Amino acid sequence: MYDRTMVEMLKELQAVEFAVYELALFLDTHPADRRAWEDHTRLVNKLKQLRRAFEDRFGPLSLDSESPFPYRYINDPWPWEIQY
Amino acid sequence: MNKPDGKSKGYPGGMRLGEAYVPFQIYGETFDPKTALMYGTLFPDLFRPYRPAHRNQEQ
Repeated sequence: MYDRTMVEMLKELQAVEFAVYELALFLDTHPADRRAWEDHTRLVNKLKQLRRAFEDRFGPLSLDSESPFPYRYINDPWPWEIQY
Repeated sequence: MNKPDGKSKGYPGGMRLGEAYVPFQIYGETFDPKTALMYGTLFPDLFRPYRPAHRNQEQ
């Protein structure tokens, strides 16, 4: 129903975001673990880049994302409408 | 009521209910993000799906 590349990019975003959360939780109890910190930093930057690439093409992902004019957040596909 | 101890109750190893020991996690290999999302964890050490059919092999 939706542009395949959009769905693929969404899946990538979800996976990277999950990994960032996992690493953040690990770092909560292991703040001095350098390798975990390096991986977290790398993935946080990757997430930012993926988000920017997605939003530049498919519009805002969240309320605090910029939207092109006219404001389009409300009529973008809702998560439950997307067939992954 | 006397002090409850595992021996009298017959718990394995005389243990008492509610005692848990979780070793401190050591960082190492991680799953790639897509796999991690499917498995529900980034860490191979924590990936232990319950598979009743293979109960004896797992141990």
